[in-house]
Amino acid sequence: MLAGIPRLRCAAAAAAFMLAAAAGSGNAAAWSLEEAAAPYKGTTIRTIGEALPPLEAMDKLKSQFEERTGIEVVIEMYEHSEAVNKVMLDLNSKRGRYDFILQPHRELGRFVKNGHVAALDKFMDDAKLRDPSFNPEEVLYQGLWKEISWYEGKSYGFPFTALTMYMWYRDDLLNDPKEREGFKAKYGYDLKPASTWQEYSDIAEWFTRPDQGFYGTALQGKRHEALWYEWLNFLYSFGGDMLEVKAGSECGPVIVNSPEAIASLEYYKSLMAYSPPDTLNYFWDDVMALMQQDKVYQLIMWNDATYAVAEDASQSTVAGKMGFDIIPQGKGGKVGQVEGWTYLIPNSSKNQEAAYLFIQWMMEKEQQLNQHLNGGATARPDVYAHPDVQKISYSKASMDTNEVAIPKPTIPESPEITDILVRELSSYLSDAKSAKAALDTAAVEMSKLLGDCAPLKYPVN
Amino acid sequence: MSARGIGGAVLDRGVVPLLLLPSVILLLIILVGPFFYMVWTSFTDLSYSIPGRDGNFVGFDNFRRLMRDDPIFWDSFFLTLKFVVWVVSLEFVIGFGLALLLYHFIEKRRLVVTLLLVPMMLAPVAVGLIWKLLLQGDFGMVTYYLRLVGLLDIRAALFSDARLVLPAIMAIDIWQWTPFVTLVMLAGLMSLPREPFEAAVMDGARPLQVFRDVTLPMLRTIIALVLLLRGIDAFKEFDKVFILTGGGPGTATELLSIYTFRVNFKSWDLG
Repeated sequence: MLAGIPRLRCAAAAAAFMLAAAAGSGNAAAWSLEEAAAPYKGTTIRTIGEALPPLEAMDKLKSQFEERTGIEVVIEMYEHSEAVNKVMLDLNSKRGRYDFILQPHRELGRFVKNGHVAALDKFMDDAKLRDPSFNPEEVLYQGLWKEISWYEGKSYGFPFTALTMYMWYRDDLLNDPKEREGFKAKYGYDLKPASTWQEYSDIAEWFTRPDQGFYGTALQGKRHEALWYEWLNFLYSFGGDMLEVKAGSECGPVIVNSPEAIASLEYYKSLMAYSPPDTLNYFWDDVMALMQQDKVYQLIMWNDATYAVAEDASQSTVAGKMGFDIIPQGKGGKVGQVEGWTYLIPNSSKNQEAAYLFIQWMMEKEQQLNQHLNGGATARPDVYAHPDVQKISYSKASMDTNEVAIPKPTIPESPEITDILVRELSSYLSDAKSAKAALDTAAVEMSKLLGDCAPLKYPVN
Repeated sequence: MSARGIGGAVLDRGVVPLLLLPSVILLLIILVGPFFYMVWTSFTDLSYSIPGRDGNFVGFDNFRRLMRDDPIFWDSFFLTLKFVVWVVSLEFVIGFGLALLLYHFIEKRRLVVTLLLVPMMLAPVAVGLIWKLLLQGDFGMVTYYLRLVGLLDIRAALFSDARLVLPAIMAIDIWQWTPFVTLVMLAGLMSLPREPFEAAVMDGARPLQVFRDVTLPMLRTIIALVLLLRGIDAFKEFDKVFILTGGGPGTATELLSIYTFRVNFKSWDLG
């Protein structure tokens, strides 16, 4: 008798599980985008983001969603800083102009802490909205999703782009027998993609030919966020960081003036000798244009800009001639930086549900694949595994960097930290102060800004 | 009573101020109101970025911090003063010189005056973009010629050199606004009566003496006006610098307006 009870319970549980599974599969079969979107037919949803290939690709895809749902999607495209500023104005005025926004993840902390954006639970838990076949817990790189779109253990969106920076170089010149011979004669080793910073310098020096208007590298030295992003590659690779923390949403001791950080900055500046004269006025658009115009041998750039240089022959004179690899290694080993733009739904949005449906649709494999092939940077591993994606010249470099990417601060003060560092880095590059003085100033200001949670680890004299 | 008489009586009863009322209200809403709100926020800790700083009253803390603990503010302030003094002085000297040339030596002034209007009519953003291209360090046309005549080294670029960038921006401002000084001073010269000049010449005054003792004193009000207008305008210069350098390299072109923009719209520190 006693032995029969568990058997009965097991049978009942099995029956219940089968029923639930049947109900679940029935629900999955029953759910359709058209039906879910029916209440919002005729609605117009508006978004804003950075004018780059990933957003341009989304702009081309949106008509399929519009046809299926009757929801119109309006996309506003701006330069990076402009896209960020317009969102801040909209969120703070609570005007609700944007139904969903695309923003760099460094802004996430201040959006969440100021109550500007909605957590995803309310949409994901709504059976009418949630596509049962969409399981972000399974189909996204969990590390990237959590870094780009989560804050303090809660999800606020999905990655629009999972960005990294890696090394771009001219594969055709690398394989030119004359160049290989000359390089070996001068430096005593074979010309190959740089794997150490010494090699990176040597190669940059070798290809610097100002009389021919050609340079070994191009630094993004303008007083702009681009400078900070680029230097982070060197900082991480030399074994440094800005704060001593484990996650982007944490506050901790300031270590931006460590000996490793100072060494990375001094090395970074040494590359100016191999960069075009106007290098202190360049940001990412400028160096991308230089590469497209066959003016530079190697540089460190973003994956969302790669397509326009490497694949699109209508925009680039070097399409098909490019090679890509993870950045050279220093004391910090194999590293990269993770940056991403994330989909977010503002609390002030009047069409949150329709916005969620569009975002969910964009995260489907088909749309992600299409967007990725047209210059996107997906966070779905199954898209990277697709044969068409494998064929893209920069896929391997993207994936390798994704695997070793280091998170960056997403706390509410992180945009101000960026601004402080941009100013100090730029001051050092323009000879206004030494590397140590610049980073000491930045460390003191960061510590003051963050308060008690961020003491100085390396004292300032 | 005539119609004119009725109208006069109505006006006497104070209809004129009533007619002005909508304009006054509009002005209060869009200018005076925001100004006082801005003054109020300067006494608060309002930040759109940092949670908890919701606009609490902090007295003179912000001003104290600005005066004592913000070296960037003082650097920007003195840089702005330097910019204003240089550009306004040079614009005045060159502009007045051109006006004298036009007045004394050029008969058909209309075409020249029309051409002089062109830089002034351009939006400052457009001026910034045009000069950004002309002075671009790799392929800018002006950069090319500067290198060709040996004025600029092949490894140098105006906007990437902390020593050259401010003079370059000053030169662009002078290019844009000298015509304004010329036009106003020319109008002033043309409006002066001839008699004092004729009397001075009859008394044996030399041209330089006429200029110093007759022209300059008679143009005093106009000169003051030109200097005041240009001084105010140069002090709030923003567009061209923002487009051309964003305040860099380093803080080499961080004028007060750029500094204010950063504090307000980068850090969102409004209080």
